[in-house]
Amino acid sequence: MTHARFDRRTLLGAAGALAATPALGQAKPFAGQTLNGAAFQSTFFEYLKAFFPEFEEATGARVNFNTQAFPVYNQRTDLELSTRGSALDVVNVTFIYSGRWIGAGWLTNLSEFVNDRNKTDPAWDAADFVSGAQSAMSDARGNVFGFAWEAGAMLMAASRYDLLEKNGRSMPTTFDELLATCDAIHGKENVTAFVADRLHHWNWIPYLMGLGGQVFKDPPGNLTPRLATPEAIRAAQWYGDLLQKFAPPGGLSFSDDQAMRAQMSGRSNIRTQAITWLVPLAKHEESTVKSTVRYALMPAGPAGNFPGSNSHGLGIPVGSRRKELAWEFIKWALSKQMLNRIVETRGYPSVCRRSVITGDAFRSALTLNGQDVASLYLQVLELGGRSGYMKYRTVPVFPQVGDTINRGIERIATRQQPADAAMRQAQQDAVQVLGRAGVQVDAD
Amino acid sequence: MNRGLARERRILNIAALVLAAMAMAPFLWLLQMSFKTNAQIFTFPPELFFAPTLENYAALWETDFRRSFVNSLVVSTAATVLPMLLGVPAAYALSRWQARAAGSISLWILASRMAPPIAFTIPYFLAYRHLGLIDTWAGLVLIYLTFNLSLVIWMMRPFFDQLPQALEEAAWIDGATTAQGFFRIVLPLAAPGLAATAILCFLFAWNDFFFALILTRTEAMTAPVAVVNFMNYEGWEWGRIAAGGTMVMLPVLVFSLLVRRYLVHGLTGGAVKG
Repeated sequence: MTHARFDRRTLLGAAGALAATPALGQAKPFAGQTLNGAAFQSTFFEYLKAFFPEFEEATGARVNFNTQAFPVYNQRTDLELSTRGSALDVVNVTFIYSGRWIGAGWLTNLSEFVNDRNKTDPAWDAADFVSGAQSAMSDARGNVFGFAWEAGAMLMAASRYDLLEKNGRSMPTTFDELLATCDAIHGKENVTAFVADRLHHWNWIPYLMGLGGQVFKDPPGNLTPRLATPEAIRAAQWYGDLLQKFAPPGGLSFSDDQAMRAQMSGRSNIRTQAITWLVPLAKHEESTVKSTVRYALMPAGPAGNFPGSNSHGLGIPVGSRRKELAWEFIKWALSKQMLNRIVETRGYPSVCRRSVITGDAFRSALTLNGQDVASLYLQVLELGGRSGYMKYRTVPVFPQVGDTINRGIERIATRQQPADAAMRQAQQDAVQVLGRAGVQVDAD
Repeated sequence: MNRGLARERRILNIAALVLAAMAMAPFLWLLQMSFKTNAQIFTFPPELFFAPTLENYAALWETDFRRSFVNSLVVSTAATVLPMLLGVPAAYALSRWQARAAGSISLWILASRMAPPIAFTIPYFLAYRHLGLIDTWAGLVLIYLTFNLSLVIWMMRPFFDQLPQALEEAAWIDGATTAQGFFRIVLPLAAPGLAATAILCFLFAWNDFFFALILTRTEAMTAPVAVVNFMNYEGWEWGRIAAGGTMVMLPVLVFSLLVRRYLVHGLTGGAVKG
């Protein structure tokens, strides 16, 4: 781990971050306590760990923060939270589990901390977090259970934009243009036109919504699946064709990372995915497409543009015995000053505070191959926050329904079943899993 | 006739080689990946001939994987030795016990393996949390002990059943105690069975992912869980995953090769009585 150097600027920044925490006005208010935190491995926490000594110095507390692989973290934390354990004081609120963890009452209501002036200085500015990133961190009453440290905004990236230009194409803005562009460039210089990973219940949904379909009737209130509507069947056929015609061999089973590597090595061209997986095309040391990559918003369908967005936040388990200290940590870690420092010193590309995103440091970090990607990122996060179309993803039963979607798209793309039969099967399976989870669905 | 037999043998040999290659293919693929850089791993079409690098192994050793590897070694060894110490005498006692209850006791001993591991997860997790056994060697050894003990008793009992009791009786007539008869006469004759059982115990503990995932955090994390930790949110470290996977397989491979003679004999030895 690299440790931050403590120069004058660093210390001034740290002082600014800690000044926003009233409890820290006292001398070492948490001396002798140990804060236990956990999250999945991410560069954000690697960067943040370098600043832990400052927090420890200011509070007197010791920070014991462990990071694990994404599936390992989720499995362990789900078990810890479900048994209302006190082993952890700060946890990452994983997007796909947020509905389950908040709905089950396993996380502490942070609105009570935010609204208490003795615990939170208004200058900390909770409203500064982008609404799209915060939507998964709240319940239906607007109570907040986490603050986002990372947001994934779905964009489109062409790793070999030069091939598009050579064939008289620009970045597609509609579904029809995307198909026409893929048709024009597929196979040129041994590069497949499109690539996606196997998480179809994330990648396909923007196309489903763009063609007028929905996953659920009216989430989170009405979770009747809408997977066999004419719009859903058409969208599934459309996406299945896209994968079947333009994805690389074996692409249907690609992981996130494999799809990214296909783009980085210049084997595949266009991908629509969260920014986390697209920034490395311009920045990763192993990327061979740094000078040819181009970014754009997701293409729009006839019904509009619905790029996926998600976020992960920091929250406090309801069983924690050191909630005050945990809140101090969250305020410190996600203060404007700290996020700005992380962006300035490390170029971290996925922060969720509007004031940071619109700042010079972030814009500079997200100017990729000469293009302002920061503004695209903010546009997507705001889209998700305005209309709430991402609510489908935060319902506790989505992972099970998502599995039925994955299987349906795979059957179509591999030509095992026609789209209507595959999606009717997906609908039937989804109704079954919802029934097993005790969710009432409409009779139709 | 001889020519026909030779042809048939050649075909069978080729089929055996093809099957062996198919069975070994995933391991060999993993092995060659571990000697490639990430860029080489994703070269398409894949390169069969390349300049190998040890950077993945070197990088592996600079991370916490080293500690996890030691954890795996300690825990698996303890989870082999302890069940053998307790289970082998128990299996001998059950074998020589003439009462009807012996059968039903054996069945109850097997109960710990009658449900899938996930069924025990929550009770173990809650109990361990109260006892402070989460993320400790002792916690892992204890859980592997409970599962391995029944394996040892059920595997060793048929070996003792097939040994003629007259051998022990002869030793007793010569003045040996029951314990001396057991240690000096019975155990040496059951050596292949002991080797096979020990290997299976070691394999169970060494390869376990599920309990190690749930019941450890950082201090007692074992190698299989540590390998998964190379699957980061922002990208997988393929080279390290391959190197870690190879390292996880290595001790089992070496151990199995060393005792393969006993292993084959031991796995079939208890199958036939008399």
